[in-house]
Amino acid sequence: MGNPLHSITALFASPDALVHAVQETVKAGYTRYDVHSPYPIHGIGHSMRLRTSPLGYFALAFGLLGAFGSVGLMTWITLVDYPLVIGGKPFWSWPAFVPVAFELTVLSASVLTVVTLIVFYLKFPNNSHPLHDTPYMKRVSSDGFGISIQSDDPAFDEASVRAHFARVAGTDIAAVYYDPEMIDHGQKLFDPRFIGLLIGVALVVSGGTYIALNKVAFMEPFNWMMEQGKLKAQAPSTFFADGSGMRTPVPGTVARGFLPYAFAGKPAEAENNLANPLAPTAEVLARGRTQYLTFCSPCHGNFGRGDSRLRGQFPNPPTLLSDKVQNWPDGSIYHVITNGQNIMPSYSGQIGRDDRWAIVHYVRALERAQSAKESDLK
Amino acid sequence: MSEFQPGVTDAFSPDELSPISRKQFLGLLAASAAFAATGCTDYRDKGEIVPYTRKPEEITPGVANYYASTCTGCSQACGTLIKTREGRPVKIDGNPDHPINRGKLCAKGQASIISLYDPARLRAPRYGAASTKSGDVSWDDADAEVIRHLTETRRNGKSIFLFTSPAQSPTLRNLLTEFAATYPGTRIIPYALLNDESRRRAWEACYGAVPLPVILWGDASVIVSLEADFLGTEGFSIEQSRQFAAGRDIMRSTRFNRLYTVESGFSLTSANADYRLKLHPSAQTAFVYALLNEILLRRRAVAVPRALQAAVESHDIGNFCARHGVAQDVVTHLVDDLLASRKKGIVYAGPGLPEETHIAVNVLNDLLGNTALYSNSTTEAEGLRPASSREVESAVAGMRAGLAGVVLHFGVNPVYDLPRSFGYAEALKLVPLSVDLAEAESETGQLCTYMLPVNNALESWGDYQVRTGLYSLQQPVIAPLYSTRQREAILLHWMAGQTPFVETLYHAYLKNHWETRIFPSLDRAVSFEAFWNASLHDGVVPGQASAALHPPLNRTVLAGLAVGEERTTMMLSWNEGPFTGDGRFANNGWLQELPHPVTRVVWDNYAAVSPATATALGVEMHDMLTVETASGSQTLPVFVQAGMADNVVAVSTGYGRWNAGPVGSGVGTDIIRLFPGAALNGGRLIPLVKAHKASGRHELVTTQEHHSLDDTFVKDFHLKRKIIRENTLARHLQDPLWLQREHREYDSISKEVEYHGVKWAMAIDLNKCTGCSACVASCNVENNLPVIGKEQVEKGREMQWIRIDRYFSGTPEDPVSSHQPMLCQHCDNAPCENVCPVVATNHSEDGLNQMVYNRCVGTKYCSNNCPFKVRRFNFYNFRDYFADGYYLQEPVSLVYNPEVTVRSRGVMEKCTFCVQRIMEARQHATEQGVTFNGAGVRTACEVACPAEAIVFGNMNDPASAVSRYREHDLAYHVLEDLNVRPNVTYLARLRNTHTEKTS
Amino acid sequence: MSTALVDYTREEEVIAGRTTASEIDAVVSAPLDRFPSRLWWIAFSVTGTMLGIGVVSITITVLFGLGTWGINEPVSWGFDIVNFVFWVGIGHAGTLISAILFLLRQRWRNGIARFAEAMTIFAVMCASIFPLLHTGRPWLPMYLTPYPNQHGLWVNFTSPLLWDVFAVSTYLTVSAVFWYLGLVPDFATLRDRTVKPVKKVIYSILSLGWRHSNRHWHHFERAYLILAGFATPLVLSVHTIVSFDFAVSVIPGWHTTIFPPYFVAGAVFSGFAMVQNSLILVRQYFTLKHLITLDTLEKMNKVMILTGSMVGYAYATEFFIAWYSGSQFESFVFINRALGPYAWAYWIMISCNVVFPQLFWFKKIRRSIPAMFVIGLFVNVGMWFERFVIIVTSLSRDFLPTSWGHYVPSLIDVGILIGSFGLFFTLILLFVRVAPVISLAEIKSVVPGAQPHHHS
Repeated sequence: MGNPLHSITALFASPDALVHAVQETVKAGYTRYDVHSPYPIHGIGHSMRLRTSPLGYFALAFGLLGAFGSVGLMTWITLVDYPLVIGGKPFWSWPAFVPVAFELTVLSASVLTVVTLIVFYLKFPNNSHPLHDTPYMKRVSSDGFGISIQSDDPAFDEASVRAHFARVAGTDIAAVYYDPEMIDHGQKLFDPRFIGLLIGVALVVSGGTYIALNKVAFMEPFNWMMEQGKLKAQAPSTFFADGSGMRTPVPGTVARGFLPYAFAGKPAEAENNLANPLAPTAEVLARGRTQYLTFCSPCHGNFGRGDSRLRGQFPNPPTLLSDKVQNWPDGSIYHVITNGQNIMPSYSGQIGRDDRWAIVHYVRALERAQSAKESDLK
Repeated sequence: MSEFQPGVTDAFSPDELSPISRKQFLGLLAASAAFAATGCTDYRDKGEIVPYTRKPEEITPGVANYYASTCTGCSQACGTLIKTREGRPVKIDGNPDHPINRGKLCAKGQASIISLYDPARLRAPRYGAASTKSGDVSWDDADAEVIRHLTETRRNGKSIFLFTSPAQSPTLRNLLTEFAATYPGTRIIPYALLNDESRRRAWEACYGAVPLPVILWGDASVIVSLEADFLGTEGFSIEQSRQFAAGRDIMRSTRFNRLYTVESGFSLTSANADYRLKLHPSAQTAFVYALLNEILLRRRAVAVPRALQAAVESHDIGNFCARHGVAQDVVTHLVDDLLASRKKGIVYAGPGLPEETHIAVNVLNDLLGNTALYSNSTTEAEGLRPASSREVESAVAGMRAGLAGVVLHFGVNPVYDLPRSFGYAEALKLVPLSVDLAEAESETGQLCTYMLPVNNALESWGDYQVRTGLYSLQQPVIAPLYSTRQREAILLHWMAGQTPFVETLYHAYLKNHWETRIFPSLDRAVSFEAFWNASLHDGVVPGQASAALHPPLNRTVLAGLAVGEERTTMMLSWNEGPFTGDGRFANNGWLQELPHPVTRVVWDNYAAVSPATATALGVEMHDMLTVETASGSQTLPVFVQAGMADNVVAVSTGYGRWNAGPVGSGVGTDIIRLFPGAALNGGRLIPLVKAHKASGRHELVTTQEHHSLDDTFVKDFHLKRKIIRENTLARHLQDPLWLQREHREYDSISKEVEYHGVKWAMAIDLNKCTGCSACVASCNVENNLPVIGKEQVEKGREMQWIRIDRYFSGTPEDPVSSHQPMLCQHCDNAPCENVCPVVATNHSEDGLNQMVYNRCVGTKYCSNNCPFKVRRFNFYNFRDYFADGYYLQEPVSLVYNPEVTVRSRGVMEKCTFCVQRIMEARQHATEQGVTFNGAGVRTACEVACPAEAIVFGNMNDPASAVSRYREHDLAYHVLEDLNVRPNVTYLARLRNTHTEKTS
Repeated sequence: MSTALVDYTREEEVIAGRTTASEIDAVVSAPLDRFPSRLWWIAFSVTGTMLGIGVVSITITVLFGLGTWGINEPVSWGFDIVNFVFWVGIGHAGTLISAILFLLRQRWRNGIARFAEAMTIFAVMCASIFPLLHTGRPWLPMYLTPYPNQHGLWVNFTSPLLWDVFAVSTYLTVSAVFWYLGLVPDFATLRDRTVKPVKKVIYSILSLGWRHSNRHWHHFERAYLILAGFATPLVLSVHTIVSFDFAVSVIPGWHTTIFPPYFVAGAVFSGFAMVQNSLILVRQYFTLKHLITLDTLEKMNKVMILTGSMVGYAYATEFFIAWYSGSQFESFVFINRALGPYAWAYWIMISCNVVFPQLFWFKKIRRSIPAMFVIGLFVNVGMWFERFVIIVTSLSRDFLPTSWGHYVPSLIDVGILIGSFGLFFTLILLFVRVAPVISLAEIKSVVPGAQPHHHS
């Protein structure tokens, strides 16, 4: 019987007796007592001198939180974060916000109030209270009406409490002791069992999430329109033997805007028949420069001196500054770019037609710049 | 002693409960959330990139190329402009430089692109049923075998029968002659079920052996169409539609042409008529005679040959009208108009009418001086003349008699489309070697020894001439997908004997033929190379302009002629299926699913009868009717068509193929078995021996409900609800503001959104729209629309983004038809946007009502709330669902437009105003560094519309056509009272009827 | 429970006879202790089968798509939304009884509140299946909630469907909380009654360690009162918002301002019918006749005739307004309802909702169990058809005659409907086995002599 005493309990015959007993207990100056009954007894709060529960204020606060929070969120979304014209309405169509605002108000107010009640006022969950599993508790949870006076009451004295109960016609007067297991039952955050459980659950949850989001979510019938069947530019294709979705035009066909080069393999005709359609304006030269530096300079060098950057991995071409080239008409240079010459391949695929002419201008500029005559200075 | 009763506490250990108390639970939550977050991170492979190793000059990945070519879908041979992406054709439109179709293309041409990617195509030569072997065969073996037979046949004096369609290709004609030369005893039998022979023979009877004229429809102020569908399936329908519509362009002039149609069925042309008379086809000749008589009486002045006088004087117009219940007043108007607009009117008889009717019509036109509307610069070019029924008869007889050593089918399907009375199929079985040169297995190919796969039109070279002074060239836009060869090249190869086949065989032949034969006759200054490339580039070659000569009419022609007896007994009147043609398009799902322009029926043909005849026969809609001609009998579902002439059963060709491929086999009913052999000689009227109700029922599926016209509950809703606004031209001219006066501005509780810069809008001129459905087909191709199949359409789940709504008013005997292209109206105050919970549909800065497919969860609320019901929902993954995923097979996906999302199941979709084209133009403008004002953006439907009834553009640009349309007096919006502010403006329809006095 | 403010001594007793508290415990918790009877197992297997049918149908829907349903263009909403509105409606009785009647101090509610609340929760669970399932891509429900996502998009706060999401989820949550709060003391009682260790552990967890302390009752009652206060506008708001799904649209027949009150009345109407039907079975089966008295049932019937008449009045008003508005679309829709292709559904609705309930004017029928059961059944059928009529007839024939259509439900549609009933009754059957169908604390507090007589 070494267990410390928690409280002395007594049962009473009827609600009326209970109310009477409570009033007496209060008169007797006890403060750390509690009254138990299977259902709330009316007016007993008054007898126990309990102050009105302040939960109402919490409800008000939570309600306002929900209301302003939701309206604020909707305002921010529709005005700041992603304004969209929907049905020709203004961005901030507040009348439409009313329903959502109302629902969120009710939600936060009611749920948070209940949470407050349970967590802060009832201090639940608490299954380790000494009163649990006492015969006393079994009675009051069914049809009994009882009072318990706790041992930590300043005016507590076991004998006098028992006497007091006897005086107010209490029956089944009994003592309730702490269960040693339950004394000082702090949160066992570092309880290995708990940590293990934590890790286990975490692994299951994360693994599940991973599989759900990265595997299951991409199975049939879930469809995200990522595989659409259509062939985009440079996409592979299982249908064509070469595995590429891109085809080359049938030889001999002529696409709109792409009349074939008339002088393939006929430098002489090109020389005579081709004239540069572009004027050597600043833009054209600039365009020619970029094109030249992109496509020509690797072999011909940045200044057309034939100083290849390829360090001899590829035979160096002759300089573009030679008299021969300088005396060529534009047509011939264009022809060489388009048609290729000796080991130089055709660049018609890479360089657009106008760009080729622009390059011709740029080459001219290079020649002029690097063999400037006195006259140029004037 | 414990106060606990034994057996209570031991089981009740609080430790099992308290450890997971709230703080810990929260911690646990946090931890798992953290783990979950890591779980979300993953890299998904988006596939590899396969660039060109040697990039062709013309191709830039992501940028489209365009090739001028020629459509071979039918005998019109329209010029096409084919859009390719990375060397794959993805869209076919008309070639703007082609003088006949001027950048327009019919539904068939638009949709024919999927035939290239049709999984049912033959991929290698194959043995047919007539061969002892089966399965695939190598080209070499097949060639060897065929050449052996060809030479043998030549040796033992038998003959080679080559059945072909009347070729309009000069080079092909030349090739055929050379083939006949190489293999003497070759008989070339060109035939066409859908021919114009009665017209041609009549023309020759009247004017001698001169080619048929080209009619300048645009200049006509009165058009009388007898049993003809010149806006639908007959003649150069694209050009005819354009010129007809040009004659009713309210934006240009307030003078409209006037269209009278006199016919037994209800054709698309009738749907556009100002006056429509129904007449039993057999009475047409008498009708024309009566007209002639009336006109002669009214114009005693001119001297008319006695012969003519005598022939027609017995035909009193009054009696005729009384006899056939034709509205006297309308006929009076008709005669007045014809007289009033001599040289400016045209009477046009359809190919279904017999020779004598055409002759009478020629006389009538001549008498009125309407020959002035025959072009002087060009005439129809003479292709191969279709064989008469007698020639075909004898050929088949020859086959039966064993005279044929080899039979070649050169792009024809006689087993299906020759009248069965020839007994072709049986005869074919007696031929030692029969070859079918076809893209896919067919009824004919199936019975042959060999089925040799040929190139699709998009893989082929060719040249065509349909008019004098005009050639159009055909060039391939992709190399053959399979081991196929071009039809012509196969012949060339056989002519050459045992030499290895080269791909360029026909290309070279074609070029050579042009260089040697045609080019010299054109006397151009440039080199042939230059000329050739330029011609391929343009697609068309203007030939030497030969003035078309119109010899005087032989006016005695009527004298000897008997007016066909006006038998108003039951007749079968057949016409060309609007989208299936002679059956060659049967396996094209897009075309099968295009609603019939008038009846809105899909996936079927049927026996159309008038309400009265239906009652007489005791049949109703969807009942089965057995019709019996001298040649055979067939049972079809019944469609009760208001406004048809009584005692006529109208049927369409192109259905009931039994070996057309997974899509087309068994769709509709085969009616060719009802035809006599004479069907090949023109004329499409067949007397019915018997017609009676058959047992059973066949659900005809239409894309819109049919309400009986005398159901007052729903009568004339399109007018009452201001969906279609109509008036007559005369009344409009008297009071141009009749429509605008009704227009009301509505207040809004909030400020209307303002659109600065470009704002997109569309205008549709109901006066020009003929309802031909080319826009629908074009949209299907451009926007990757799926085919969903008959039973899904029946459930009401059709997917087309633009549809042609058809309304009837008036009486079942004499209905008045209106139609209206309906697509997403892109409303400023779009009701669909308000209700979408996930903002998957909302408005863009340039006024588009846009769909965010991958945001859509598919609540379908938007569709419910759309007053126009233009939204379409993917109830299934239809590509997978339709015909067991037929269109999921390779290589169908190649047809998809790479710029348009292929929508998945469960997603809402609708017209986007071709946003991909808008974005392309915008991007282009940005590249060029110019400010984008929306000029030059054209939607797929606009590009396709032959009548140019659709105008799209930037309404904020006062110079744009669309803003001028929006300001027109006739401009209105559908359901204006809802104040959803649509951005598709319609121009009210004006009927050019005689209402001057009545108004 | 805040009976504190009322003098019960002057009221007629809500429970028959002088049952003592312990007797109440015994009779109410009896079903929880004894092994389910054969009757229960039969019922359970039936509802289980129905549930199974539903599960199969739903699987098919998710696998192959909404094409398996009867919906089409223009009728894109069919059974799915009909069932949704129907079930949400059913879900209105519970909270109404436990909250509004609570505020109105209707003591007779104490006997049926617990059960009604349970039904509310189950009904709303059934209802919430459908909005999810009716989406073409049901694997994307999260798109309907405002959370930061890869699209950068939020949600559309102008969409009634979104309001639904908030309304229904709030309603479900608050009802559940309300229900559980009331259950806590009862779980404590059960905890202290039971001798089975496992049950004891479970009840201990559920009861959170409730000790029937009046210091707790004190706050508890206040919280309960506040909750009731919030639940009252909530229950009214939910069906109002559901009705917005239609009222806010432009479709004739939907676009009417009368919908909110009309829908709420209808919801209460059908809810009471369902509660009445189920309670009749429960009190029959569990012999709770003296706790759920005939008077209680009669009172419910009175509520039903009231709400039923309101609904009937709404029907009449709709027609009047359709004519009075002069809008040809409106008037057509309503003529079409009564005479068009769906007239049969319309007349079922009228007879079940307006005609039959009038019988409740007779006290005899009000107090005859079989009669009221049948009428309640009719009301449920009628209210289901009301939603069918509103949704399907309006959609099938709206503005453009060319896009009119006809709706025929598919087998899958029917399967899912059956499934939802299966789910509902399965849950009820489980509920009556694991929790007290009558609130012990509440019922005890109204036992004669349960409260002190003198008030100091």
